[in-house]
Amino acid sequence: MIAGIPLSFAEPVLLLGLLSLPLLWWLLRVMPPRPRRIEFPPTRLLFDIAPKEETPSRTPWWLTALRLLAATLVILAAAGPIWNPQTGIAGSSAPLLILLDDGWSAASSWDTRIKAADELIANADSNRRGIALVALSEPTRDITIMPGGTARVALRQLSPKPYAIERVETLPAIARFLKATGDCEIAWLSDGVDTGRGVEFVEGLGKTIGDRSLTIFENGAASPLALAAAENAAAKMTVKVLRADGGIATGIVRALDQKGSPIGEARYTFASSDRETEAAFDLPVELRNDIARLEIADERSAGAVQLLDKRWRRRAVGVVSGSTNDTAQPLLASTFYLTRALAPFADVRLGDRGAPQQAITQFLDQKLPMIVLADVGTLSPEIRERIDAWIEQGGVLVRFAGPRLAQADDDLVPVKLRRGGRSLGGSLTWEKPQHLASFAADGPFAALSVPRDITVNRQVLAEPDAVLATKSWASLEDGTPLVTGEHRGKGVVSLFHVSADMRWSDLPMSGTFVEMLRRIVDMSGYTSTPGAGVAGETGTETVAPLRTLDGFGAFGPPPSTAKPLPADFRDRAAIDHPPGFYGPADGPLAVNALAAADRIAPLDTTAMRARHASYTNAEPRDLRGILLSSSLALFLIDAIVVALLGAGIAGLLRRRTAPAALALALILSAMSVAPSPTRADDAAADDFAMKAVSQTRLAYVVTGNADVDSIVKAGMAGLTLFLAQRTALEAGDPIGIDPARDELAFFPLIYWPIVPGLPKPPQDAINRIDAYMKQGGTVVFDTRDAIDAPPGEGGGSQTPGMLALRDILSSLDVPELEPVPREHVLTKTFYLLRDFPGRFTSGQTWVEALPRDEDDDEQAASRPARGGDGVSPIIITSNDLAGAWAIRPDGQPMLPLTPGEPRQREFAFRAGVNIVMYTLTGNYKADQVHAPALIERLGQ
Amino acid sequence: MAADTRYATQEITAIRRADGESRSLAATLPRLVLEARRIAANVIHGLHGRRRAGAGESFWQYRRFASGEPAQRVDWRRSARDDHLYVREQEWEAAHTVWLWPDRSPSMAFASKAARDSKLERALIVTFALAELLVEGGERVGIPGLMRPTASRTVIDKMAQAMLHDDAARLSLPPAFVPSALSEIVVLSDFWSPISEIRNMLAGLSSSGAHGTLIQVVDPAEESLPYSGRVEFVEPEGGGTITAGRAEKWAGDYVARVALHRDQIRAETNKLDWLFSTHTTDRSAAELLLFLHGGMMVSKATARTTTVKAGRSA
Repeated sequence: MIAGIPLSFAEPVLLLGLLSLPLLWWLLRVMPPRPRRIEFPPTRLLFDIAPKEETPSRTPWWLTALRLLAATLVILAAAGPIWNPQTGIAGSSAPLLILLDDGWSAASSWDTRIKAADELIANADSNRRGIALVALSEPTRDITIMPGGTARVALRQLSPKPYAIERVETLPAIARFLKATGDCEIAWLSDGVDTGRGVEFVEGLGKTIGDRSLTIFENGAASPLALAAAENAAAKMTVKVLRADGGIATGIVRALDQKGSPIGEARYTFASSDRETEAAFDLPVELRNDIARLEIADERSAGAVQLLDKRWRRRAVGVVSGSTNDTAQPLLASTFYLTRALAPFADVRLGDRGAPQQAITQFLDQKLPMIVLADVGTLSPEIRERIDAWIEQGGVLVRFAGPRLAQADDDLVPVKLRRGGRSLGGSLTWEKPQHLASFAADGPFAALSVPRDITVNRQVLAEPDAVLATKSWASLEDGTPLVTGEHRGKGVVSLFHVSADMRWSDLPMSGTFVEMLRRIVDMSGYTSTPGAGVAGETGTETVAPLRTLDGFGAFGPPPSTAKPLPADFRDRAAIDHPPGFYGPADGPLAVNALAAADRIAPLDTTAMRARHASYTNAEPRDLRGILLSSSLALFLIDAIVVALLGAGIAGLLRRRTAPAALALALILSAMSVAPSPTRADDAAADDFAMKAVSQTRLAYVVTGNADVDSIVKAGMAGLTLFLAQRTALEAGDPIGIDPARDELAFFPLIYWPIVPGLPKPPQDAINRIDAYMKQGGTVVFDTRDAIDAPPGEGGGSQTPGMLALRDILSSLDVPELEPVPREHVLTKTFYLLRDFPGRFTSGQTWVEALPRDEDDDEQAASRPARGGDGVSPIIITSNDLAGAWAIRPDGQPMLPLTPGEPRQREFAFRAGVNIVMYTLTGNYKADQVHAPALIERLGQ
Repeated sequence: MAADTRYATQEITAIRRADGESRSLAATLPRLVLEARRIAANVIHGLHGRRRAGAGESFWQYRRFASGEPAQRVDWRRSARDDHLYVREQEWEAAHTVWLWPDRSPSMAFASKAARDSKLERALIVTFALAELLVEGGERVGIPGLMRPTASRTVIDKMAQAMLHDDAARLSLPPAFVPSALSEIVVLSDFWSPISEIRNMLAGLSSSGAHGTLIQVVDPAEESLPYSGRVEFVEPEGGGTITAGRAEKWAGDYVARVALHRDQIRAETNKLDWLFSTHTTDRSAAELLLFLHGGMMVSKATARTTTVKAGRSA
């Protein structure tokens, strides 16, 4: 086996033949090629020529290389190369000890492992060697030497265990076996995962086997993945995906409910060097609460399954406050502390609207599993009955003391209270503030550490009676209870003897408060089990296995080795407690192969003095045939080449092939790197954008009619020049655009000459124009045919251009239009104009209709200028404005005007200036009419 | 044996092609008229006059009778017209025998890529064309050892027939024979034979005083040795081989050696007052024919001074 490559040679000695290659090279270089034979009549004359001292013409280097390659292939073939060789361990006749990792981490590539073991057994069996098979999960089993057949049967009976194995524990048995057996050969089929004490085992194994030969199979099998630390966080359910090293980088985690139907999927992606990543399920909380099992798709192992029980449910908790001023000072309100404490593991619903009674009713209607009443006093009997019934059905009621509770009297508390609060350390009291002393060992807070820094200033006191001590979950230093609780029916009633805000104690500010609430929330929602800490019950509750996972992560009946475990079991699975669900079917306890904090690491075996082998997934393959046939092909090519050379194409080949091949390669590479059209398009679009935004530019639509386009271009250039001469706007050269392709947003004004007879622009272009107009752009449609209008009323709208325009506008969202009114701001933006002449004067100019204010017509009439709220998105004219603006390069007008009154061209330009200014300044000029009045007022 | 068969096939093809090509070539040239180099009367009468008085059948001129002449020569009919005596002279008519020798040895079958025809083809074309012209000009044409001199109008057919049915060994040089003193000999060969053989041939042919022309028909490749690399050169006739490791290095020496060989031949021909020229097959056949035509038109003396080179000068 060659490092990393599953290739071995049957007779590696023959590889020494490769050493002869340099000699062959030399020979091939020295031996001249066969001469070309030419019949040459004057040969006799050549006899008279003195023989030259000649260096023979060399064989071309590539021909030599070809021959050497062929020779190499022959030598390699002679050495008997085998791809994916049998991973047999050659050697002595000593017994073979096979160590087999069979924890959950071995499950995902179990078949590979078994196949490798099978091959080992087959090999050993054919050499009549004894075989000892050790599954590293069974430290107690004795190791015996078996014949091959038995070993194979034993191998078939093995299956991966659903928990992490401790290989170390098998070491003593191995040591005993080795001592008894003496010489022995060892093969360890490792899964390459260190679940904890890997290093210890590697060292121990090294010591135990001494100088016996060891082969470690570790590469070649997929590295396992695992799930751990599922968490039902506030927004989503997250779970950590672990891997030992490398391997699969992305995948899917599936979420299933109790019955195995899928709920959701989440992707995970490992960064290249990370060993852990996270998959998040973004699902509604109700769905998330239904998740009972998370598993990595396509990964068959118990470690790739995370079982979730009620502890992962996110519960909705209703919080009701009895105080009224909570909202005034929110940071001091009890609801604030409760919300912050509950938020990490529960969904808090505040009953802040209405009276406490209404809020409680609402929560009861919503069937919340837990309700917190912070200092809620007397409740109406109906509400009390409903709450009682709710608790009987499994509701958890948590109450906090306070002035109102102290005055109230109801039975929704676990203990009987003495009326009135008790104040400590006040001016009229002599006792010091009390510290928290202990948590009841059988209460829900049993596992919490007792914080010493919590002080309690006031509390409500319970009437001392016989059962008070058993109902106390937490008590103060003087023995008085701080938290009491009681099971009623399926539910729980609990009372904090302090308030939920900072007035009575600083408990609500501590981390312990959060943990205590978490424990209480944990009790909610599962009902049939009388949970721990119930008054009057003793000892730890144990739950029997219900369904357990096998090594491949599939549910099955619990094996006989599975034992009941305590209900508060939170450790990882072990041989006695295989992963699975324990306890009752409707509220089981989940045990997982990996605990929340577990991580997996690659097993480092490089320190061991051992042969490292790979698992081979493929059948061994003899490469001799391929090598020999390819060398034959090479020799054939060589023969053809020699024949060609001999036939006189030598020169041709020598001189032309290389350049030709080079040229071909260059052409091919040039073709492959030729820029794709899209890239070119992008670049062109970028250029266009740069050009369009670097200066303010007038734009016109390129119609495709060359005459019209050149006139319009000249016209826009003329207008730009006029603008630069008369106004502050020094625009750049106008740009012709294609509304279907170019970005329009850069231009304040687009001039669109209508050419009758051209096809209507595509709907895509229309849509873009529509969007442009909606977003504040202005399009000037010019039909350029006022002179063609038939005489008479409405003739102006019957021209061919108008008809074409109507066709275009039919798919545009055009506002209501009107002829430009006299007082329209368009007539006043720069010059004061009456109309908007172009080459023609008879055409009507239309703009968006200004909003009519019916009520104050008189006032409207008195206003000198009216502008709408924005700029009219559309201006329609038929006067051929661009034709009037068009100038030749020498500055002379390009087209004559009709009727050609003096100053018509000047007014045409002025109309253009007004339109441009209108699009650039909007209704600013409409407001400017008030300027004198404003200035006059300011002056006073 | 296979080589022989191959060569035979090549020869047949060459003859067939040369047959056709030579006719068209001959048709393009003016009638070849040989000038008699010898003043002595020829016993065999040809068909055309020699533009001078002599033995013949057609009238040439009347001349004044010179005293001392035999009286029987006087043409009395003419003399009766006036007071003088006239002698009626006939135009001298004499036929020439031209021996043509196209070398048909295997070495002539060589054709490099640069050449249009093989040497054999070229030699045959020129031979046939020349024969046609000569026959049309009234000469008699023969091939030594193969075809007796003939003045038949179908000389090309006869020659081709003779060649096709020739089963003798293909010699490079014409066999030893004694041509008549007045005959003309044209040898078309590559003349790669040793100079001693050439010398012997020349001695034999010229012993009777016949005049001749040697044309060395060579392939362009034979002029320059345009080979490179490791080449084994094989002699087509002798079978001798020589291997050049780097043929391109040999070219210079080879060209010098060829020049020497030609100089030797030329020295021999000059001694005998024969013509020697070279012709490369990448030139046109008409060029060679024109040269031969010219060589026979002019007298030997002038031919010496106005040698028309056919092909590249050696």
